[in-house]
Amino acid sequence: MTDVTDVTETGADSGGVARSDRDLSNAADMIICEDISKWYGDFQALEGVSATIKEQEVVVVLGPSGSGKSTWIRCINRLEEHQEGRIVVDGVELTNDLRNIEKVRSEVGMVFQQFNLFPHLKVRDNVSLAPIWVRKKPKAEAEEQAQALLELVGIPEQADKHPGQLSGGQQQRVAIARALAMEPKIMLFDEPTSALDPEMIKEVLDVMKNLALSGMTMMVVTHEMGFAKEVADRIIFMEEGQIVEVGTPEHFFTNPTEDRTKLFLSQILA
Amino acid sequence: MTAPTNQASSTHAAVSQRVPLWRDAVVVKWTTQVVTLVLVLAGLWFLASQAGDNLVARNINIGFDFLERPPDIQLSEGIDTHPATGGRALWVGMVNTLRMAAVGIIFATVLGVVVGLARLSNNWLVRRLGTIWVETLRNIPLLVQIIFYSSVLSTMPRVGLDTGPINGWLHISNKGLSMPRVFIADGFYQWAMVMAVGGIAAHFVRQRRVRLHDESGANTSPVIWALGTLIVFGLIGIFIHPLFGFIGPIMGAVAGLLDSLPLLLPQILLSATAVLLAGRWIRSFLAGRRSAVGHLALSDDDYFRIIFTAIAALMAVAVAIYWTGLSSWILNSGSDLFRVIEAKFNVDGAARPFDAMRPDIVKPGKFANYGTNGLTMTIGFAAVFFGVVFYTSAFIGEIVRGGILAVPKGQTEAASAVGLSRAQSLRHIILPQAIRIILPPMGNQYLNLTKNTSLAIAVGYSDIVQVGQTVYNQTGKTLPVVAVWMLFYLATSLTISVVVNYYNVRMKLVER
Amino acid sequence: MSEFAGAGAEIGSFYPMSRPDTTPPVEEHLPPREWLKKNLFSNVANSILTVLSSLLILVMLRGLLGFIFNPLRQWNATAVNLRLLMTHAYPADQYIRVWFSVAAFLILTGLSLAVWRAGSRIPVPDVGKRVIALGVFVTLATLLAPFSTSARLSWLAVAVFLLVSGVAVSRTSKDRSVSSLSLLVGACGLAALSLWVIPYGHHSFIIDRTPKILAEPGTVDLTTKLPWTLMLLIAVAAYGAGLFLRDRVPAKVARTSLVLAWMVTPILLLFLVLRDPDFDMGHVLSTDIPIFLVFAVLGSALLFWLTNPETGEVGRMVAVTVLFLAFGSFLTPMRMIIRILMLLLAMFALAGPTFSGDRETRHRYAAVWTGVAIFVSWLVTAINTPSTVPVPGQFFLGGFSMTLMVAFFTLLVSFPLGVMLALARTSSMPIFRLLATWFIEFVRGVPLITILIFFSVMVPLFLPDGMSLSEVAAVTIGYALFASAYLAENVRGGIQSVTRGQHEAAEAVGMTTSQKTVFIVLPQALRVAIPPLVGQVIGTFKETSLLVIIGLFDLLFVAKAIIPNQTEFMGSTRENLMVISLIYWVISYSMSKASQRLEQRVGLGEQ
Ligand SMILES: Nc1ncnc2c1ncn2[C@@H]1O[C@H](COP(=O)(O)OP(=O)(O)O)[C@@H](O)[C@H]1O
Ligand SMILES: [Mg+2]
Repeated sequence: MTDVTDVTETGADSGGVARSDRDLSNAADMIICEDISKWYGDFQALEGVSATIKEQEVVVVLGPSGSGKSTWIRCINRLEEHQEGRIVVDGVELTNDLRNIEKVRSEVGMVFQQFNLFPHLKVRDNVSLAPIWVRKKPKAEAEEQAQALLELVGIPEQADKHPGQLSGGQQQRVAIARALAMEPKIMLFDEPTSALDPEMIKEVLDVMKNLALSGMTMMVVTHEMGFAKEVADRIIFMEEGQIVEVGTPEHFFTNPTEDRTKLFLSQILA
Repeated sequence: MTAPTNQASSTHAAVSQRVPLWRDAVVVKWTTQVVTLVLVLAGLWFLASQAGDNLVARNINIGFDFLERPPDIQLSEGIDTHPATGGRALWVGMVNTLRMAAVGIIFATVLGVVVGLARLSNNWLVRRLGTIWVETLRNIPLLVQIIFYSSVLSTMPRVGLDTGPINGWLHISNKGLSMPRVFIADGFYQWAMVMAVGGIAAHFVRQRRVRLHDESGANTSPVIWALGTLIVFGLIGIFIHPLFGFIGPIMGAVAGLLDSLPLLLPQILLSATAVLLAGRWIRSFLAGRRSAVGHLALSDDDYFRIIFTAIAALMAVAVAIYWTGLSSWILNSGSDLFRVIEAKFNVDGAARPFDAMRPDIVKPGKFANYGTNGLTMTIGFAAVFFGVVFYTSAFIGEIVRGGILAVPKGQTEAASAVGLSRAQSLRHIILPQAIRIILPPMGNQYLNLTKNTSLAIAVGYSDIVQVGQTVYNQTGKTLPVVAVWMLFYLATSLTISVVVNYYNVRMKLVER
Repeated sequence: MSEFAGAGAEIGSFYPMSRPDTTPPVEEHLPPREWLKKNLFSNVANSILTVLSSLLILVMLRGLLGFIFNPLRQWNATAVNLRLLMTHAYPADQYIRVWFSVAAFLILTGLSLAVWRAGSRIPVPDVGKRVIALGVFVTLATLLAPFSTSARLSWLAVAVFLLVSGVAVSRTSKDRSVSSLSLLVGACGLAALSLWVIPYGHHSFIIDRTPKILAEPGTVDLTTKLPWTLMLLIAVAAYGAGLFLRDRVPAKVARTSLVLAWMVTPILLLFLVLRDPDFDMGHVLSTDIPIFLVFAVLGSALLFWLTNPETGEVGRMVAVTVLFLAFGSFLTPMRMIIRILMLLLAMFALAGPTFSGDRETRHRYAAVWTGVAIFVSWLVTAINTPSTVPVPGQFFLGGFSMTLMVAFFTLLVSFPLGVMLALARTSSMPIFRLLATWFIEFVRGVPLITILIFFSVMVPLFLPDGMSLSEVAAVTIGYALFASAYLAENVRGGIQSVTRGQHEAAEAVGMTTSQKTVFIVLPQALRVAIPPLVGQVIGTFKETSLLVIIGLFDLLFVAKAIIPNQTEFMGSTRENLMVISLIYWVISYSMSKASQRLEQRVGLGEQ
């Protein structure tokens, strides 16, 4: 825990303004979703979802369980295939083009609820494997970078352990370092703290906060309302595969327009 | 869509451009597969054409005509030791294989369960014996064991009149083992019909007793009542079974009907079945992919499945139509079957369902031999039988032990907590759960046992492989014989898997 | 939360250290009386069982001992024919080659035992208990066996000695322990010593069939006891060297090179040492080496280009073209070596993009290709060259060495094949799945012997003109295909145990499907599949006995058909079979025990 506060201090110079006050209207579009729909068999998980996410923007996606949040962000790096509509990531449209899929995947980092670290590899190799074989970096350079990233997430001393020997919070921070090692332009988080014990949640959220402050474009599915209020530029509320409401945290938490949003907030804040 | 959506995207520069073929995921995926398929088929074709050339060059003919021709073969045992045709010889071999497999499976199961339970016994000595049994037998090659049993038996003393460990009851000699035999006599099939009726009656009796139990709560022992009913029917059946003699003529009539049917009928039936099955499958498949609002989302794999099913159905139709042999075989063997059944029911009314005989020894000339009365195991049969039964019992023992150990300990504790005795908890709690774990690997063992009977070739038991080898040594038709082997074993394996899977599925259903 | 716990447990199962210490169940220590009561006479039924099984044991033991110590038994059939059993007709004057090969194996074994830290520590009192058990067994056997009085007395003396020393050892402190390997070495040492001391009888190998005295009194022949003693020393020395190296060489390097050595050494021993090809240097210099050089240079250049990350799709197309050329080369008359090298190069080329990287990586890839090309060129040339060692009959090895050789090549070929089949069967590509499933289910549906007969009879027919394959090779292909189908099913189990999350994580960091397979899926899948794979190795070893049915001279053939046909040893089949059963048993049993220990060490044994 001590090392995390370290990071907070170093990260603190890069920003510190209230997030929603930033003006991002001139920033470039990073992710464009146009009317995307997706079916699982005869079940429609996404129904015409449209949204644009700007460079450096931090978007938090909220919604009840089963509302299609995971499905949506997994479509953005093609872990799932959407069936209708268009997804453009950093100017590259996601189609059947193998090269585009590879390109998008190496530009979009993803952090999972279950960490999904590679259990047979040491922590350092977990982080450096993809830079070596996907980014084609020399091994020494990749390992150096891995060490630096582990330092950034506050666990440089765990590099030689296997994931099974780490706590949940440490594992999730390794997972973040692994995603960052690919030097992504966008980071996707799918409920990164839902599988953690309460005392470990903060250490992961702190790392994410610093990442946001450093200017990373982020899309975060989470139930941590504190994080949403503090860090998000925008909040998107989903239900039954549709976007119900979009707004700044201020708007969202103080006077939401939609009834469904109000109901959700009353349940979650109760 | 009531949600305020962001419209900025429509002005974005990215335009969807056409994907070059070599970078298109779907195209690459299917090209890879088709190219591989073509290479595999080309390789097979290449090998086949090589073989064809070589066969022509060596003047080898690979027709199946030997099946119809009289072979010059004598088999050591089986339903027919002087088969009239090559096909008949192979048939005798198949029956011998199946007979060995069936007997082996029964005995290996019983012995295996005993071994498995012994390894879990409270008694140290019994546990040790079980361990020694398992570790010895499963670590020595089965073939070595089979040959060992055979060589032990062939060093036994010669057969002679008035010999054997228990004269008239058990003989062991260099001709094998002979012991008393209980066998199905002519009246059996009619008696079996009585028993079938008895089975239905027993079922109703059981249901009634169960209902009585549910109503009164008293112990009504339904199983004992059901068994009693069966026994009563069995006893009465010995006297009244000629009642069922009428089945014979009916079967004869059916056989006659089959004889007179045109070939076209099975052809049409087969084709229609294939088309109907494929059509139904495709319909239900499409229904599964269609959303409530009628949106149909088919992936490339789905198209492949549909096309593949359609092609398979068309091929089945083509086979049914062009291979007239198949249709005539179906009709012929169908009528043969009914004639066989007819013969079984055309018996003397006084015939007994069962009979028993003690072994005898005959001495027609200089040498004595076993007569036909007793149940005689030739050395070959005995060696293979003991080999596969002992060997498989070691594996089954481990499966049984593992299955019982895999039932969580809490189950036993819970059972004793609600006051079940050890036997009761084994019967009602442990075994039902263990069976579900045991059954799939047990099925594998049955498959292995069946395939292992093919080692009979090393000790001269006339199974399908041994007979086949004799046939091709004589006729030179290696390839056709190997094809017959493989078809036979595939069919047998498939049958066993289907039966085991059926029980598996039933077990899983019970679980819900 | 429960899902998370599941994931944690699964990850934990790879590494025993991460789990809370599970202490093994300590067996209660009861005084003998109570132990007997608890384990043998706890109630009436139990007591009856005890009596019945004791009777059974006594009767069986008596029968067995009566058989073994019957003066009619010809146990010296094996002793005299040991050479026949081990190598069949390999010439006696070239036997130094055999001993060299045995030594090479023992060196590898010694090194591996040290590097993988095999063996365990056994408390000394436990050793004492085992010695006591042995003493009890010998006493029982002495009483039951049909011995003369004097023999019985001397055996009783041995038993008493064992009992007394066992009791003495079991009284020592519980904290002292001894490594199981030193016990093994001690036992082997005693056995070797006994060769020099105890007059087992001087057996000589029957070279020509002239009648002569087979066994004279005295210790065994020098050609037996000297090499075996040396071998034991070599093994111990190798273990010592392994211990020395273990702390100086990084574990990963040591293990990788040992695994490679285990794969390459048998081939080298077989085709370099035992078969000793009589190379035609003119041909080698004029044809074989130039062909190799062309492939090495052009192939390396091609692969160096293919592994360049910038090459892209053009590279893949070139690789596919090479594959087509390789297949095409079978349609025209051509040297076999060219076809084989083409095929290998195509494999390397297809895998190239997966392993592309910086300059160093690309150099390494090309170097690996060159190494493989050297080895394969040498091997193919060696196999096609006549041997300097004259061996009558069809194949230069027989007996136990053929058993081992066939098992080795079966595993060597079936392993990659099985992994590929498993990958195909679990792939997302339906045609691959169909092909793999049909192959696997077909092979698993028919008995091994039908496949072996098919291959021994049919392979000559399948070969194009001018190509030939020995029957042993043909049958080994049959074995390998058979084993690969079963292996594929085991590996498939492992592959399916890799969670969906692992696949997604690999995809999310941008790995291609093949990178995901090589770096993420297979390492985890194979680890899970270790226990069934060891089971399969044992199975393959036992199945080599089927060679006898094809008429090849394996261990079983010699024991069953050759020795009992010698005039001196008519009717010794049962004795020979018992001896080879013991050989099979010792090897299979120790492999299965070793795998159980490995399982516990990797922590897969418990759930
Ligand atoms: N692989 C799948 N197959 C079928 N249905 C799925 C699959 N994945 C998700 N779904 C369904 O899609 C809906 C949206 O799921 P998800 O995106 O995971 O929701 P969230 O992340 O918001 O909880 C759920 O109803 C879920 O059951
Ligand atoms: Mg979700």
